[in-house]
Amino acid sequence: MATGFLEPLIAEGATLAGGQAGWLGRVRANALAQLARDGMPAARSEAWKYTSLRALAQRAYQRGDSDAAGRSIDAGLLALPGVDGPRLVFVNGAFRADLSRIEPIDGLQLHTLSQVLESDADSLQGPLSRSFDDAADVFARLNTALAGDGPVIRVAAGRRDLPLVHLVLIGAAASTELAWHLRGIIEVGEGAALRVVEHHVGESGQAHFGNLLTQIAVAAGGRLDLLQVQNSSESASLFRRSEARLAADAQLEMRSIEAGTAWLRHDLAVTLAGDRSRFVSRGVFALRGRQHADTRLDVRHAARDTACDIVWRGVADQRSRGVFHGAITVNPGADGSDAQLSNKNLLLSAQAEIDSQPVLEIYADEVKAAHGATVGQLDEQALFYLRSRGLSAQQARSLLTLAFCRIAFDSIENTALREHVDALLLERLPEEVEEFASEGAPA
Amino acid sequence: MTQAMQRAEPAPREVPPSPGNEHIVEAMNRRYDAGFVTDIETDSLPPGLNEGVVRWISERKGEPAWMTEWRLAAYRHWLTMIAPEWAKLRIGPIDFQTISYYSAPKAKYKSLADVPKELIDTYDKLGVPLHERAKLAGVAVDAVFDSVSVGTTFQKELADVGVIFCSMSEAIRSHPELVRQYLGSVVPTADNYFAALNSAVFSDGSFVFIPKGVRCPMELSTYFRINAGHTGQFERTLIIAEEGASVSYLEGCTAPMRDENQLHAAVVELVALDDANIKYSTVQNWYPGDENGVGGIYNFVTKRGDCRGARSKIVWTQVETGSAITWKYPSCVLRGDDSVGEFHSVALTHHHQQADTGTKMIHIGRNTKSKIIAKGISAGRSQNSYRGLVKIEKGASGARNYTQCDSLLIGKQCGAHTFPYIEVKNPGAIVEHEATTSKISDDQMFYCRSRGIAEEDAVSLIVDGFCKQVFRELPMEFAVEAKKLLDLSLEGAVG
Repeated sequence: MATGFLEPLIAEGATLAGGQAGWLGRVRANALAQLARDGMPAARSEAWKYTSLRALAQRAYQRGDSDAAGRSIDAGLLALPGVDGPRLVFVNGAFRADLSRIEPIDGLQLHTLSQVLESDADSLQGPLSRSFDDAADVFARLNTALAGDGPVIRVAAGRRDLPLVHLVLIGAAASTELAWHLRGIIEVGEGAALRVVEHHVGESGQAHFGNLLTQIAVAAGGRLDLLQVQNSSESASLFRRSEARLAADAQLEMRSIEAGTAWLRHDLAVTLAGDRSRFVSRGVFALRGRQHADTRLDVRHAARDTACDIVWRGVADQRSRGVFHGAITVNPGADGSDAQLSNKNLLLSAQAEIDSQPVLEIYADEVKAAHGATVGQLDEQALFYLRSRGLSAQQARSLLTLAFCRIAFDSIENTALREHVDALLLERLPEEVEEFASEGAPA
Repeated sequence: MTQAMQRAEPAPREVPPSPGNEHIVEAMNRRYDAGFVTDIETDSLPPGLNEGVVRWISERKGEPAWMTEWRLAAYRHWLTMIAPEWAKLRIGPIDFQTISYYSAPKAKYKSLADVPKELIDTYDKLGVPLHERAKLAGVAVDAVFDSVSVGTTFQKELADVGVIFCSMSEAIRSHPELVRQYLGSVVPTADNYFAALNSAVFSDGSFVFIPKGVRCPMELSTYFRINAGHTGQFERTLIIAEEGASVSYLEGCTAPMRDENQLHAAVVELVALDDANIKYSTVQNWYPGDENGVGGIYNFVTKRGDCRGARSKIVWTQVETGSAITWKYPSCVLRGDDSVGEFHSVALTHHHQQADTGTKMIHIGRNTKSKIIAKGISAGRSQNSYRGLVKIEKGASGARNYTQCDSLLIGKQCGAHTFPYIEVKNPGAIVEHEATTSKISDDQMFYCRSRGIAEEDAVSLIVDGFCKQVFRELPMEFAVEAKKLLDLSLEGAVG
């Protein structure tokens, strides 16, 4: 069943796929056929248990922005303190060479998907042929069918000490509500190391739908540090899926700061495919107003002596709703796996809601696996202490809330960048203190 | 970090399979002590399910018209429902037309004295005191054999203090006003697929009523026995504790060894009014199937307690070692202010057994508290899942929940899973959940072995320690039985 949301996008996709031959045409046609067949996920879909798609399904977005190339963008929007290396900028889903900064650096390829599709399409056949067979993956299917551009970042084997790569995704004001689809590829060669900032910003007041699917592959002994700073416009809807596959001894460290958007869904799917590979995830969402953020982590231990270490914090104020799903699966034979997950949340208002769902699926016995989840309030004793030192109630609350969130990013080495994230979160913390009766032991 | 995690601390290394494992191999042919069949003439309904069957059961039990209508409404609703598939279970197709919905010993017994020796022997063999031994044991028992209750002990003694303890059929006849008021008020007929089926065809079960202010003078107990082949057991238990009343209730179950999968779809409803206290303990030992996963009971049960009154308390304790498939979530609806719900569970699966069990704690009233302690042990090729919901509704200010789920894996081919759902809508609530999964640590095993403890005994010792938190909650007689059962179930799990 096609819906108001899907119909125009499927129609656009059909015209797009019409002119395409070869494997890419087939992959896109297949995704379109799946979309036309399954439509939006059913209301009782487990993957969408806490995030209703009903409102979104009734909205019609126009695909792409034909004026994207000419839109003027405030330079301040792009800037990120402490980050001045190579930069790739996309505005409303279109690449903007004029805003980007690409200097030739040995061993580091910075391209766009459309460039690579023209020059060396077959090198992308692997990742782009990924098919999404679960009807719940409706946005990943849309991305497969519609994404024609996106960042392609590749590091040659053994290259280290590269400058921090700044990837900027901007939702700029347009006259219509539009949807953009971008496909990102990050490939880190054997023994290489790379640092990337994925930076989402938006001009306020503009409702649009963004869809970014990033596929990450880290080869043996490689390492990727990915910082996601998401500060999109509070009227935007954003779907992100970050998929990663780690080879032997590879490492992925991700830090996700979720501050903006009206509606956010972030799927994070990591496969520890090689022995001794390691995944670290730190994240925080700070929500207010009517914001809705749903983070869905899915980590699979598929090799021996692999490790994952996940720490997420959530803050929900006013009428917002925060959802965290953290699933860890240990495959049969993945002995020596070590999986740790912690999810702590602060619920600051009687109209807000937190839903947390840590999941363990263990099929091997030589494992250490543990998860913990809490929902509660600030420690009354700590508040009292701070007030006794002369802080106002509001200052005390802000300070403690920030400290609570900080675990997600206090390991960022770049001081200017860390302070920027600090400021970003502080700005979002509750201004007025809502008093409510709280009894019993502190959180 | 919890105990179980600390055990797993040292770097994992391979344990060489100990030589001379004959006793273990032998033990692999695990005995199921309760697997015999009692040869007794029964009165069974031919297999099949339709409105006629529902009417027949109702008529057979001499039920009033409202009860027949209640059953029929449930049946008609059931027809519109589809079997749920969300659990992490592989369930063979169930053909509801091949099940006989009523089976009872042919003769009618006026009192326990008339119950034939074969039946008394059956319960004796199972260690359930029905006769003179009952006096010594000091536990009042309602024995349910296939579809009907064959006898309830201590009825008179209980009646003296105002406690009603009888079979559900008898309750519908003698206390229709109470049954009508409370039946289906906790688990409505349309609640879920198996509850709807149960509402339509339930044949018997236990009824307990503890009047205001009465503390039940003895433990009450029901013993469920499936005997006949090709039958399902659909019993219904209703326990009502009025203001300030308190009761402790025990439930046990066994079935003969058969190659078929028999369905057990029960409904248990608990109602606790102001200041009432209900403790419900289960030791479930239905036939689990053989080591190749053939046969065994499908145990699909809806158990729910309603803390309707302020300061009421419901405690569920379960030890689940039997059944081919266990699928149940004993829950508490914490409606009354300051009410308390607790769930303590040990679920053990071995060979090809599957379990998807846990609890739901729905916090509605203010200052409600719940505690969940769930221990899962999986061995052989079994799959053991904890699934639980903690929901804090908007009005539940000051609500508090603590959940701890630990899983122990014994062997390389089993799985242990945890699926908690936490939904919080009140900022005055505090919810904590933690879970761990590990195997028995090599260090612990090595220590025990070095002290001269045999491998099997060492496992049993460690598992016992792992489950201690839950066993402590069981009434004494049950704790001993549960421990024995666990040892027996784990036979052959090591090696």
